[in-house]
Amino acid sequence: MLMLPELIVIGTAFLLLTLDLIWSDRQRPALALVGLSGVGAAIAATLTLMPQSGELFGGRFAVDAVAWWFKLLFLIAGGLTIALSMDMLDGRIGAGGTQLGSRGEYYVVMLFNLAGMMYMASARDLVSLYVSLELATIPLFVLAAWKRDAQSTEAGLKYVILGALASALFLYGMGILYGLSGEMRLEAMGKAMQAGPAFWLGVAMLAAGVGFKLTLVPFHMWAAEVYQGAPAPVTAYLSVASKGAGLALMFHVFYRVLGPLAGHWDLALAIFASLTMTVGNFAAIVQKNIKRFMAFSAISQAGYLLLGFLGKPGDGVPAMLFYLLVYIVTNLAVFGVIIWYSNHTGRERIEDYRGLSRTNPLVALAMMIALFGLAGIPPLSGFVGKFFLFSIAAKAGFHWLVALAAVNSTVSLYYYLRVVRQMYIEPAEAGDSALRVTPAMTGALAVTVLASVILGVIPYFYETVSAQTAGWLQGTLW
Amino acid sequence: MGLLSWLIVVPFITALAVIFTPARKTAWIKWISLVGTGFHLVLTAFTTWRFWQLAAPEAASMKTAQLMKLHLEERIPWFESLGIQYLLGVDGISMSMVILTSIIIFTGVLASWKVEERAKEFFALLLVLVTGVFGVFLSFDLFLFFMFYEVAVLPMYLLIGIWGTGPKEYSAMKLTLMLMMGSALLIVGFLGLYHVSGMNTFDLTKLAEATFPASFQKWAFPAIFIGFGVLGALYPFHTWSPDGHASAPTAVSMLHAGVLMKLGGYGALRVAVYLLPEGAKDWGLFFMVLTTINILYGSFGAITQKDLKYFTAYSSVSHCGFVLFGVAALNLMGMKGAVLQMFSHGVMTGLFFALIGMVYGRTHTRMIPEMGGLAKVMPWLAVCFYIGGMASLGLPGFSGFVAESHVFLGGFFGNPWTDATIMRTLTVIATMSIVVTAVYVLRGMAKVFLGPVTDPHFHALTDATLTERISTGVLVATLAVVGVMPFLLIDLIEASIMPIVNRLHASGVTVALH
Repeated sequence: MLMLPELIVIGTAFLLLTLDLIWSDRQRPALALVGLSGVGAAIAATLTLMPQSGELFGGRFAVDAVAWWFKLLFLIAGGLTIALSMDMLDGRIGAGGTQLGSRGEYYVVMLFNLAGMMYMASARDLVSLYVSLELATIPLFVLAAWKRDAQSTEAGLKYVILGALASALFLYGMGILYGLSGEMRLEAMGKAMQAGPAFWLGVAMLAAGVGFKLTLVPFHMWAAEVYQGAPAPVTAYLSVASKGAGLALMFHVFYRVLGPLAGHWDLALAIFASLTMTVGNFAAIVQKNIKRFMAFSAISQAGYLLLGFLGKPGDGVPAMLFYLLVYIVTNLAVFGVIIWYSNHTGRERIEDYRGLSRTNPLVALAMMIALFGLAGIPPLSGFVGKFFLFSIAAKAGFHWLVALAAVNSTVSLYYYLRVVRQMYIEPAEAGDSALRVTPAMTGALAVTVLASVILGVIPYFYETVSAQTAGWLQGTLW
Repeated sequence: MGLLSWLIVVPFITALAVIFTPARKTAWIKWISLVGTGFHLVLTAFTTWRFWQLAAPEAASMKTAQLMKLHLEERIPWFESLGIQYLLGVDGISMSMVILTSIIIFTGVLASWKVEERAKEFFALLLVLVTGVFGVFLSFDLFLFFMFYEVAVLPMYLLIGIWGTGPKEYSAMKLTLMLMMGSALLIVGFLGLYHVSGMNTFDLTKLAEATFPASFQKWAFPAIFIGFGVLGALYPFHTWSPDGHASAPTAVSMLHAGVLMKLGGYGALRVAVYLLPEGAKDWGLFFMVLTTINILYGSFGAITQKDLKYFTAYSSVSHCGFVLFGVAALNLMGMKGAVLQMFSHGVMTGLFFALIGMVYGRTHTRMIPEMGGLAKVMPWLAVCFYIGGMASLGLPGFSGFVAESHVFLGGFFGNPWTDATIMRTLTVIATMSIVVTAVYVLRGMAKVFLGPVTDPHFHALTDATLTERISTGVLVATLAVVGVMPFLLIDLIEASIMPIVNRLHASGVTVALH
């Protein structure tokens, strides 16, 4: 029973594979709906099973409050991405050359990746962790190259090479830690180890692997190229799901494995966080392509996320999970508009958005709200989430880091305002007229934008995360 | 929902009503905005009356109180596990600021009667902005306070960027980023207050019961004071203000110079000085020096300006310097003067920007040398301008005199923690600015309104319309009422300033109160 959500997702994937085979092209648009219902069922299953914890396979697969939350977040991200991709895959608008092919396989690959991430949240020993990590990574390589033009292929190739390097480092690090501790179970490893040179080498390798997933500076170089080259819906998925998976991986490594040795890495994390947000923000300022721009924006967001690791998990875990949720909906709202716009026009430079508020006022409003959310402007949830993360850092005594993070938010506001300026202040080009918004896109945008507002105003969501996860791992490791 | 929530919600509801009105019906949009803000004015008057009923009997007991007393309090838990609440309340200082804001937004809507381009978005943004301002003045939970604070700042970007004039995009970006830098400092300070107090609350009245270690106050006070000071145009963080005000459309300049800049002084008094008295004692002199520069720099800056809006904007920098000067003087007289000056300058500068907008709408120039003799063709506007100018240079009978005399007396009285000679010297230097103010105000007015009509086209211009007369008339009346009967306002605020002063005197002597 505890594995039900994963099984539903995998089952849906196989069902889609079969349907894709037997359905005619006219019926295939329904594939997206099947995929969405599968994800919906998995979300329902997760919500039903949610607070309980338990183990399967001799403790190799286990669920607890945090694992459930990660699964829920991954499913939300996956479901929303499918809703956002539909138009592009079905060629519903398609201003020539923007359509993506092979929609059946697309959903299948995406669902497998989703299952991989969900398994990873539940992995409790080295083998299951590594296998699920690969399942959560390899499908992304395929998706990045989905379009098969020069850019997309290049993105896929770069992603494969750098991703393989990161996996190799991660594996090496795990090998070292296994050698030092003689344990396979994550929680037992930390207890059996002493800090020493070999240990630190192993930790550094793991950090590189995690940093790659979470796009921490200096392991972020792949992000800009891959985000820019990959098709827009894939970029959207990468920016939220892959980041969520990185966070789950980091929870395993830093809380489960290294938890008993906490206190050694606070300062190092603070430095990583400050580097990540600063480099991400300053690089974003000069970008012209909106997907590349969002890549750097996503890098800087990962930097804020890291603040949650400072101090005790009882404070940090709820704040990070809440921020991840906020980030998923807000970022997907921005990407929804990007997907919609490039699907219509094939253009993806920031200047191309000029005058959008005159031609499509509601879409421009959605985009503006989402961008302000990412910049952390109240009363949007982006502000609330960031405030909680900053609060964690302040509690741990890192006031300088709070100051740096707050200044970085201001810098980020500058570049988000560049897009707002194009949409609201610059006049529309002659001949631009209102672009059609399909029902699927309307729904997805409405859900994400409303969520990004409501999460910050209604305390229920944060309080629930907090109530369920604040006591996480207490008594076992801390 | 309580009275205070309504004060915040009414502009927001009006904004929503504007959003749901078809964009073509600009007349409807304006009327909706006017009715909404007019209703707000009535509501404010009623709230003031209610507040006065509650506060007047307690005025005597507040003389020795160390904790502020909120009235009409509304308290709803929000993010409970973090101690964040929806806490509204009102004391004399916030009441006077709410009155000011309500007057300015009402007259601002009237002064924007001629906005036709994208009128719907304009009025909606203006009303959202003012919602944030009311929220700041009425909220006493630091989280809520900060939330409203940013809501009040951000719409400015679009308002200036879209409807502004001149280098509007540059000005809008500069203003937004500088103010956000200020709030970055604030967030550090607020989170510090929250965690160092160890009380798990953002409630301002509760935090006042904590005793913060001196080492913390030493860095937190300047962080918070400068954070607010950026919005209060503290030298050298004032550079956004002339550009921003000059580029902004009329109502936005009015609201920004009239009300938003007051958030700076308000926050500095309410949060920085009240919660961190030890820090205030350490840093008081430093900020007095900065604000003295502010006052002089602003007034000398105004002399050299040729553009009427830059002229008024620099004069605002100078006048806002008085506010922070009064706060940094750390005594009752100075702080009272600061609050009076906030009110008085708000009305005065609102009047100025409204008049400049009206003059510009007719002459299509704001350059002082290009104008002349306008009093002959627009006597109403000219008279209002004279009155504003006289109030600005501190002529007795108008509110400016009351406020400035309080501030200077405050500076002269000194306080036990600062060298009296230095404070008096600074006060004397700051007082010089009155002379400079007289020079630029009189010269500017003479050039623009007196003398022969320089441009033959000016003969065809008309005087103020009815909406403009109401708008400027209300502002002039306010200036005069406060000038002649300052006790109305002083009674309102004095009891609320006492706790801040008492805390300054008590801290360092008493032990922790909680």
